[in-house]
Amino acid sequence: MTVAAARLGRAVTPFRLPLAALGFALVLAGVDLPWATFSGFPGLMTLSLYPGGAKAYCLILAVGFLLFVIPWDGRRGAALAALGGLAGTAALTLLAIAKDGGGLVNVSIGAWLTLLGGLFGVAAATGLPPDSPPRPWRRLAVPLEWLLIAAAYLAVLFALVVALNTADSPQFIAFLIAGVAAAVAVVRLGIGAAVRVLTDRHLRVATAVGLLVILAFPFTQNGSDYWLRVAASVGVFAAAAIGLNIVVGLAGLLDLGYIAFFGIGAYTAAFLSGANNSTIAVHLPFALVIVMGAVIAAVFGVIIGTPTLRLRGDYLAIVTLGFGEIFRLVMQNNPAHKTNGPNGIFGIPDLSAGGFQLGSSHEVFGVSLSNFANYYYLELVLVVVVMIVFSRLNSSRIGRAWVAIREDETAAAAMGINTINLKLLAFGIGAFLAGASGTINAHLTTQVSPDSYTFLQSVLLLAAVVLGGMGTIPGAVVGSALLIALPEKLRSFQDYRLLLYGIALILMMRFRPEGVIANRRRQREFHDEDASTPDALSAPPGSVVSR
Amino acid sequence: MTQLLQQLVNGSVLGAQYALIALGYTMVYGIIQLINFAHGEIYMLGAFGGFTAYTYVIPHSLRGDALVVLPVVLVFAVAFSVTAAVLMERFAYRPLRNAPRLAPLITAIGVSISLQEAVRVFYPGGNRQQPFPSILSDRQFTVGGVSISLIAVFVVAVAISLMIALQTFVKASRTGRAMRATAQDPDTAKLMGVDTDRIIVITFVLGAILAASAGILQGMLIGQIDFRIGFIGGLKAFTAAVLGGIGNITGAVLGGFTLGIVEALATQYIPQGSAYKDVWAFVVLILVLVFRPTGLLGESVRSRS
Repeated sequence: MTVAAARLGRAVTPFRLPLAALGFALVLAGVDLPWATFSGFPGLMTLSLYPGGAKAYCLILAVGFLLFVIPWDGRRGAALAALGGLAGTAALTLLAIAKDGGGLVNVSIGAWLTLLGGLFGVAAATGLPPDSPPRPWRRLAVPLEWLLIAAAYLAVLFALVVALNTADSPQFIAFLIAGVAAAVAVVRLGIGAAVRVLTDRHLRVATAVGLLVILAFPFTQNGSDYWLRVAASVGVFAAAAIGLNIVVGLAGLLDLGYIAFFGIGAYTAAFLSGANNSTIAVHLPFALVIVMGAVIAAVFGVIIGTPTLRLRGDYLAIVTLGFGEIFRLVMQNNPAHKTNGPNGIFGIPDLSAGGFQLGSSHEVFGVSLSNFANYYYLELVLVVVVMIVFSRLNSSRIGRAWVAIREDETAAAAMGINTINLKLLAFGIGAFLAGASGTINAHLTTQVSPDSYTFLQSVLLLAAVVLGGMGTIPGAVVGSALLIALPEKLRSFQDYRLLLYGIALILMMRFRPEGVIANRRRQREFHDEDASTPDALSAPPGSVVSR
Repeated sequence: MTQLLQQLVNGSVLGAQYALIALGYTMVYGIIQLINFAHGEIYMLGAFGGFTAYTYVIPHSLRGDALVVLPVVLVFAVAFSVTAAVLMERFAYRPLRNAPRLAPLITAIGVSISLQEAVRVFYPGGNRQQPFPSILSDRQFTVGGVSISLIAVFVVAVAISLMIALQTFVKASRTGRAMRATAQDPDTAKLMGVDTDRIIVITFVLGAILAASAGILQGMLIGQIDFRIGFIGGLKAFTAAVLGGIGNITGAVLGGFTLGIVEALATQYIPQGSAYKDVWAFVVLILVLVFRPTGLLGESVRSRS
């Protein structure tokens, strides 16, 4: 495969410019011509001179053709990714049009031209000289670097908004292909690393900009509820995932019953918040309930953790799994007629804070923000608190001790670390944060029932942490967002959701165990046989900070 | 008294199956110190293999003849389980053999979920319970007021003979000796000329054969299978393995029978016991870990880390 590519590359090298120019011309022509003979395919594919839908993605990726004339480090990989993505997007859309229309005859000339142009581009890109590793980013004036950070984050928000407004499955998959190709191209050009270096250098500014982008999200939805509901779920899930990340990512303890602690928090809130069919007629203020939910969850965490954490990590996995099942079964069996069995407790009232009703909509800057937006902001507060807890712990003596335990427990103990207490602390803090998220979730969904706290939910949380990146905050957030939001878009794959998660877990552990957003220390740990990971080489000296 | 005896019999039948599955956990753990979460799914696939043979392979006219049905069902069950076990070892676990501990554990969970979901989504009717044939006649014996079905006798007999066969194999054969050597010290075993990769595959295969048999026996006994049986069955079998002392073959058998009997007695004698049928195994697991983490027969677990 690589041999064939190299041979093709050698053959193509002298002709790469004309070939690329031809490809570029074909793509430009292709996106202006109609792609389908019938109307109804999303993106108005029958029009000429109207690059909408998948055509627009191809047009944006066609920027990759410019790399043939700009000598930029990493351009070969970037051009291959961008133009390969272009060909892939065109091919997929072509097939989708053929399927919708009932045969390849319904595909018009534009689609074929674009596909051909993309393939020419890929062939020409194999003729580019091999990449040298990208050079470290030069320092710019500080305000300019701030602007770059803001631009990067705004690009992400823009992509997100486009993604959410992209209607239907084939077009969305085309968007995904194009988006992933563009992201890979950007990373190959060293821009990803540059953003990372910039973020490290101006951590406060980057955090503030990131926060602003997240705060702005509800205002991009034109008062529509659907994605705010999803975003609210992502918020709860992300807070729990960051908590799990302390347990799994920092301390290296595999907790498979994490959802039970979340459930304990949710049931606490259900009992104590004056829900319609709560069996305990108590209504405490929410500030008290959230603390109680978190503390009760933490107490259970300590009870479960004390006997098992004295032993090897493997036992913890299975005992927590067992605990998760016990929790669910006990709730289902309605002990002392308190939990209403499988029906659970419903009618949990909306929250209100100082006269502000989270259950009703409010008009802000002319945009109506619904109850989901209110909960979204409330969870944002929770996520930020959890993030602060995570990052302060991570860079403290405790955090370093956790990492030492994770890497070699015996050596850590020999260095005088009280391994049992520190593992228990990690486990307890994880349970505490899960309990806190659980209480908010109970109010958001207005009901709790045993079926919401199954083993698969724990696996989902674990998948979010593993996919996003163990031991990093953005990792857990990105992982949660992917796992919650993607299924909403890919409805036609609904039935395969869990199967795909399982396969994703296997593949991630095999090929990129450090996750999409890697913690650098963790990355080295997973790749210690090949000492020179590309990341270690490309990072300029002094920029390696422990995160 | 009759009731107690009856529960002891029921518990032993249950325990025989737990023991068969627990052996797979304990052998794999003994050799590569991996909790193979997906072993429960191997057992589930065995049950589905047997079901496939009965439903799609054996012609209607021969279905009444246990002497034809049993071997065919067994062959298919073993084929399903062994294929899955060998593939998962080769493509999921082997590449991670030197990775940090967390990686293979997470992979194992991924394998487990994928196999469950693959059966649910792709097996015809895999999303519902499927009726499993009892194969043997459902005759009941009554001995001193205790009723025992022919199938129950068969289950215990098969389980015990398989365990004796395994014990003999591990103790007496050349491959068995290589297995024990690999379990003690893989590096030294390699130096002594043992092909440890091969031994690890054989361990997975042996575990899969036992689990496949347990899958068929479970189907015959309960009369129903679905894609979820591997999850709960696997968990209980793991508990049995820990109870007996993980890594110890005799311990797994002892643990299996003990757990089965504890479960039967708890269901009978603890108020509301049957509602919490699946909880007792975990309670036992936690108690064992608190009071005797090495299990009934295990050596020190900590020294291996």
